[in-house]
Formats: sequence, C-alpha cells, structure tokens
Amino acid sequence: MPITRLIVIGAVLLCAACGRPQSPQGTPAAEPSAAVQLGGAPSGAGSASADAGEIRPVDPATFNKVPGYSPYAGRNYPERPYFGDEHVHTSWSVDAGGTGTSLGPEEATRFARGEEVTATSGQPVKLGQPLDWIAITDHSDMMGMITEIKGGNPEMMADPTFKRWRDMFNGGPVEAKKAVMELVAAQSNKKLPAIATDPRFARSVWAKNTTIAEKYNEPGRFTAFIGYEWTSNAGGGDNLHRNIIYRDNKDKADGVLPYTTFQSENPEDLYKWMTEWEKTTGGKLLAIAHNGNLSNGRMFAMTTFSGDPMTKAWAEARQRWEPLFEAVQMKGQSESHPSLSPTDDFAAWELWDRGNLTQTPKTPGMIQHEYVREALKNGLKVEQDLGANPFKFGMAGGTDTHNGLVAAEEDNFFAKFPSSEPRADRWEEDAMNFGPNRIVKGWEMTAAGYTAVWATGNTRAELWDAMMRRETYATSGPRMTVRFFGGYDFTQADATRSPAVAGYAKGVPMGGDLPAAPAGKAPTFLVAALKDRFSGNLDRIQIIKGWLGKDGKPQEKLYDVVWGDKDRRRIVNGKLTPVGTTVDVATATWTNTIGDPELVAVWRDPDFDPSVRAVYYARVLEIPTPRWTAYDAAYFKIKITDPKVPMTTQERAFTSPIWYSPK
Amino acid sequence: MRMRKLLGEPMLHFVLIGIALFAAYQWRAPVDSDGRRIVITQGVLNDLVKQHVAAKGREPSPSELNHLVELYVRDEILYREGVKLGIDRDDLVVKRRVRQKIELIAEEEASTQAPTDADLSAYLAANQGRFVQPAILTFEQVFLGQSTSNPGVVRAVAVTHQALRNGRDPATLGTPTLLPSRMTHAAADLIARDFGDAFAAALETMPIGEWTGPIDSSFGAHYVRVSDRTPAVVPPLAPVREQVAREWENERRQRARTDSYARMRADYEVSIEATMPKEQR
Repeated sequence: MPITRLIVIGAVLLCAACGRPQSPQGTPAAEPSAAVQLGGAPSGAGSASADAGEIRPVDPATFNKVPGYSPYAGRNYPERPYFGDEHVHTSWSVDAGGTGTSLGPEEATRFARGEEVTATSGQPVKLGQPLDWIAITDHSDMMGMITEIKGGNPEMMADPTFKRWRDMFNGGPVEAKKAVMELVAAQSNKKLPAIATDPRFARSVWAKNTTIAEKYNEPGRFTAFIGYEWTSNAGGGDNLHRNIIYRDNKDKADGVLPYTTFQSENPEDLYKWMTEWEKTTGGKLLAIAHNGNLSNGRMFAMTTFSGDPMTKAWAEARQRWEPLFEAVQMKGQSESHPSLSPTDDFAAWELWDRGNLTQTPKTPGMIQHEYVREALKNGLKVEQDLGANPFKFGMAGGTDTHNGLVAAEEDNFFAKFPSSEPRADRWEEDAMNFGPNRIVKGWEMTAAGYTAVWATGNTRAELWDAMMRRETYATSGPRMTVRFFGGYDFTQADATRSPAVAGYAKGVPMGGDLPAAPAGKAPTFLVAALKDRFSGNLDRIQIIKGWLGKDGKPQEKLYDVVWGDKDRRRIVNGKLTPVGTTVDVATATWTNTIGDPELVAVWRDPDFDPSVRAVYYARVLEIPTPRWTAYDAAYFKIKITDPKVPMTTQERAFTSPIWYSPK
Repeated sequence: MRMRKLLGEPMLHFVLIGIALFAAYQWRAPVDSDGRRIVITQGVLNDLVKQHVAAKGREPSPSELNHLVELYVRDEILYREGVKLGIDRDDLVVKRRVRQKIELIAEEEASTQAPTDADLSAYLAANQGRFVQPAILTFEQVFLGQSTSNPGVVRAVAVTHQALRNGRDPATLGTPTLLPSRMTHAAADLIARDFGDAFAAALETMPIGEWTGPIDSSFGAHYVRVSDRTPAVVPPLAPVREQVAREWENERRQRARTDSYARMRADYEVSIEATMPKEQR
C-alpha cells in the first residue's frame, strides 16, 4: 500500500512542482506608450483634468493629417476591440465541480480559443466566434477542492460534512445539485469544515491553474489572464463577489495564494490584500465586481461594508482597485432597473430582481443600491461631498459560466450548469431552488456577456492597462464595435470618416474625464457602432446622462442620438418610434431588413450646466432577434406558451462612462 | 556537466520526492500490519489543532483536543471495520470515488515525462493542418457600404475604382466605417474574424500593390490593396515547438484515461449471464 501510494503522490507532485523548464510566455517588454495619453489617469478622482483650465483651440487638420509620407505613422491608439470573458468557472470551482462539471481550466481555455470540446453533458460544442482573451476565475475559496472531494482525499473525508457531500456529488445529478446548494449555504453561514481552509490543498491547485494559463497565453493571438474569484456572500448570500485579474505572469502569481473569504468577506480587506500583494511582488492587480442585482442593496450601498459612513480614503481605494464592473452576465443585468429609470423603455430586460444569490427576498430600498446607472449618479454626489468618487468604474461583461463553456451566443447557449446544457426541458425547470418562493426558473438565464477592450494589442499587459483606464464596454454577447469619445469640439464632419482619428485627437475615449468646459461650450460626443457580422442590425445608439441637480439630487436623462432606418422613424412625444421586428419565433429566424449595420453621430449635450457634475455613457441596441428560448423551442420542437418567457431579445452594449467635473 | 544533467533529471526528482513523502507518510500515519493499532502521532495532532484554529480562530482547549482525538479514533476504527466487512465493495459512491482517483492518477502519471523532439516532430507531421502558420498580410481597404449583389453598388464601384487609379487618398473615398482601414502584419485568420472568411481568403491570392475589387466582406463590398504578404506555411518544429508540445500533452492527458482503462479492461473477462434488454433505437 505505501508503495503504490508513494508513486502516486510522487507523480502528482512531480508534475505540479517541477513543471517544464518553460520560459514564461509573457507580455512583450514594451509598454504601450500611447496608452498613457489616451484615457487620462486611471484613477485620481478626476483631478487629471483640473489644470486644463485653458483649452488650446483645436484645429482638426493638425491631427487628422500626419505630416510625412505614411498616413499611418503616429497612429498608436487602439484600433480594434478585443473580446473576452473575465468570469469563467470550471470543474475546479467547488459549486461547478459539484454539479458535475467535467471541464477543467484547460478545456475551458481551449473552448474560448475556438476549439471544439465535449460538454459535460456529452454534447460536442464550439464557439461561433473565438474569443480574443479569457480569465479563468475559479472561486478562491476551496479552489480545486471539489477535485479533492470527488477524489475522496482521505484527510477531507475525515470530515463528516465533506464525506456526505462527496456521497451526494457521486449520487446522481439531483443529489449533486443539493450538495452544491448546501455548500453555498455553508459558506455563507461560515459552517464549512475546517479543512476547507487548509492552504496545503490550495497551493498545488493554484500552481496548476497558473501553469495552464501560461501554456495557452499567446501574446498577439490569445491572452489567458491569471485570475480568480473572491466570493464574498455577506450575511448569507448578498453577492459581493469580485474577480481578481492579474497583469503579470506565473512567476509573480505563484508566490502568494489567492485571497479567500475565509480570511475576510469585507472588500476593504481585499483592497488591503491587493495593496500588500503589489508591494510584495511588484506586480499589478485589479478587481471586477458583479451581480449588484443579487446583493440585496449592498453592492453600491452608501456606507462601507461594516455600515460606517464612507470616507475619502475608502472611496479612493474602491476607485483604485475596482476600475470595472460586470454589468451583464448569465444571472441577469445590473445596468438599469425600470423602477429606478421609469423613462427607460429598455431597462426591463433580463432582470433578476427578486432576491439575492440565495434568493432571500428583497425589501424596499435595496434596488437603488444595486444598479450601475444609479451608482454612477450617486458617485457624483459622494465625490461632491467627500472629494472622491468610489463608483467611478467602467463596464465589463462576463458569462459567470459554471460548466467551463463561455457559450453566451443565443443560438449556442450552453448555460450555467451542466444540468442546464441544451435539453428540451431546461427552460421550465428550476435553475436555482432555495425553497418555496425562492426559485429561479431555467428560462430566466441570460445568454450573456463579454467584455470588449480597446487595447493597443492582445497581450496581458496591454489589455490590463486598457481595463485599468476603463477603455472597455460590455456586450450581451454580440461582438459589436463601439466607439465613444467626449470633447468640446466634435462636429458633424467628424462623423463622416473613421471616427478614431478625430476621437483621440479632439477628445477622450470611454472611461476618461472631460477637461473643464471652455466658456460657452458644451460637451460633444462622437459615438459610433458597427454590428456583429453574424448578429442583428443596429436599432439605435443612446447616450445616458446622469448629473447632480442643484439640490444635490442625482438625475438622469436618456437621449436617442442616432438610429437605423432614419427615413421612416420619427421622434413622437419625445420618444423614437420602435424599429419593429422581423423575428419569426416559430423558426427562430430574423432578417436584417430593418435597422442599420453601422451608426455614427456627433451629439452635443443640449442641457449642459458647467457648474454641475455629470456622467455620460452610450448604450447600443440591436434590432430584435430570437432569444435562446426561441432557438430551444425550434430545435427541440417544443411549445413554450408561458407568456412570462421572453422569446425575443434586444442585444446591447454599454460603454464605460465619460465624466465631467466642474472646476 | 554530467552532475548537472543528473540533477536536472525528472526521475531523480521523482525518486527523491517519493522518498521524502514515504518518510512523511510513515511519520504521519503509521499503520500496523493487521490494522488494529491506531497511533496518534504528533503530525495527526498538529492537523487536528490546525483544523480547530482555522474553524474557531483559536487553539483548542485540552478537553476540546481530547474530544477531537476521540472523534479521529472513532472514524478510523469504524472505517477499518467497515472495510473488513467489505461494505465498501457494494457501495457505488465508494466505487466512483476510487475510480476517479485512478483516472486522475492515470492523467498525472502521463504528464511526468516531457516529450522529446522526435515525439513532437512525429506529432507535427501527423497533424500538419493544425499547425499551419496563417498567411501574414498588410492591407488597406475602402468600404463601399453595400454588397456586390446590390445593383446600386455598380456606380460606387466604378467611381471608386477610377478615383483610386487616379491616386486619390483612399481615406477620402467610400463609406465611413468602424472597420479598420488598414491592418499591418495581421494573420489571415484574425482578419477573417473582422471581415469574414471569404474576404480573408481573397486577400491571400490577389496581386500585391494594386487596388483590387470589389470584394465582399460580411458587411459589403470593398476595394483592397495588399502591400505585403507572407504566404501560409507548414512550419518546421522549432518555431511552433511550444504549441505542438501543448497539443501533444493535452492529447496525451486525455488519452491517458481511456488507455489506462483499456489496458485494465483487457485483463478482465466479463461474462454476461443475465438476460439483457434489447438496445433501444
């Protein structure tokens, strides 16, 4: 017995510890020098533009025509967005492995790169379009523990709870799902067996994880970020999760284990850990929070985690460490809510607004602290009061898949857990069941989302730097190209040619800060979008403005700035007439005979008041296309008659905002 | 030199780690031959204390520790008695657990030896299609806004072509678009992600240095000028060694499970003495 055991352990360790003497495939040494001037300072409460009181009048000709033979010399701004997913769980996440996910980080990464893999349910699956990058973010709590549980690690099995869960995991899909629900509850209630915190199990798994990222990271072609999820479920399921994204390679990442909620559930402690990590390793980290909609009023609360009043230092730390927020994913969107934005006709879309992660019901007053738009507006107020804006973040999208498959395409939706991979019944089954009236149905799952990053190249460093300066946007799945620039001198002429040239020359891109307003001038925005070549045409581009009223109360207004089918659509009673629909639900098809493939406009804020703080972001809407439920119904030849189930959707993108602060 | 080589030998690491683990294992959990002796070593005790600290944030009191030891002993005794009765053998859960361990072991075992150049060259030769280095292209494009199947595009084609021939700045022609007006040293498969497969394929054969078109992308018709092109090649091993090794290892890892099962299966004789239901479909 000891001999076989010895060989086994030796073999396992050998592979984990020695590895190959492989040179770290890293990011090129060259820093994207252009990056610095593009988005303004990555943080710093908008002070970067404070000294720009006098703006030199801009002559577009001096920017648009580069002297010299090559018209492309001097252009070193990001020329294309890189699409990826910053939120991916595999069998190494305890709740994913527990529900039977068989795909580990390696399979998940290969799938994102465009390889065909076999899903846990045995079905072959391939992405319609490969992604440019991925961050595998298995839960840091018990990362890889499920492998140990399933493998029956004897030390863990000494614990009766683990033993029982192990039995349930192996006792069929129904039992396995129950085990996961118990696990989630135990973690929330701090009733996990002690051995769950033993760093011995964590370390080897983390090193294996970073080895896989290293293997598949190919600068210029595909970026595999090192990352993990810090899964804080405060108070029993209030979602305060953060994905931690590493700029650096394995050599720096391996030195320190991921932070877990066993250490703390308080985001402020996470910031301290990140600070410490950067000091220790010389590397760089950022955090992306998600699912404000499942936080029961805590994600964007106007107090600290412990309920104390915000301080300037707290606000600065949050802005520093959390440059992005994941506004859309499989568990719904957190961009806007109809009860907060009654004039927004598109807010009632993919809402998960009944409870928190364990579906503990919401009480009045919670929703206003869960959604991005409200947080952006409230951030202006905090900045005015304290001198720092904690909610100064850009937009990200992720899948939060738990089966290793970043398949967020409506016609290729492999959903969140193996049990909800394509199957005729999945729409009407319970996706999550935490007891009576605490159920989420299968059809409520959202086929979303991805993050588009305007980076100068596809490397860890360049993508990460772009995330840090918030030059990103979220999409619900389609790979639409979206540009958004703010400045004071954009004219219609800038909308008639490649907008980036004028955009960078005369303004700041998404994620940036407007300089102080020259006397008598209002902000102008250059906004443009190009459809995904496989998806629907574009319905419209909207600019959403939030500002702080004279009375100190946050306000918002939506502007339709450009739309498709211009010749047949009108503004009636302040509202743009709908684009219509071509969707045939029965066959799950549509035609691109309405809407436009590309939209571009220059928009000037008609209601600008230079004395009040404001924030602007763009939202791009596609024409209606079939939702995954319609593709399911057509493929499985089933009837979905429940009127609650949406069968069409309007895919969309939200850009990172551009902020204005008075002098 | 030879010593260094020896020190770098994975087999040596393997043996050394094995010896260390063997020692550690013996120290931690000694078992006598008939399994009727349970020893609480310092290692066992340390683990129990550590678990308590992790759970409660403090060291256990002496009575708590005694209780923990009692629990440990109880687990050990009942487990061993159960195994003696063979209860583990008809337990599906135990079976699955053991099976998973064996599969994991097979995977891990397979990944202990690094591939040689000969392994990788053979793999590359057998899978050339997967390692073709795509054509690398530098090109500019003028977008005409609609597809060539649209009759309205004919005039735009004529006008654009003439203007390009006359040396007009391409940036002043065509319809504004967010598509890149130029891509520099871009791989054909990445160009295809932006413009579509047919467009990228056309770029691989068109004349160099001439405005050519109209060519359809997924968005509509374009005029294109390729200024530089390195054709797609089947590379030798050196430049793609890392990719080949990665694929080789991945395949081996996945095959290890199946193979080790097949080997074991060959040693067994399975005789079906029951009446089997007819297969459906």
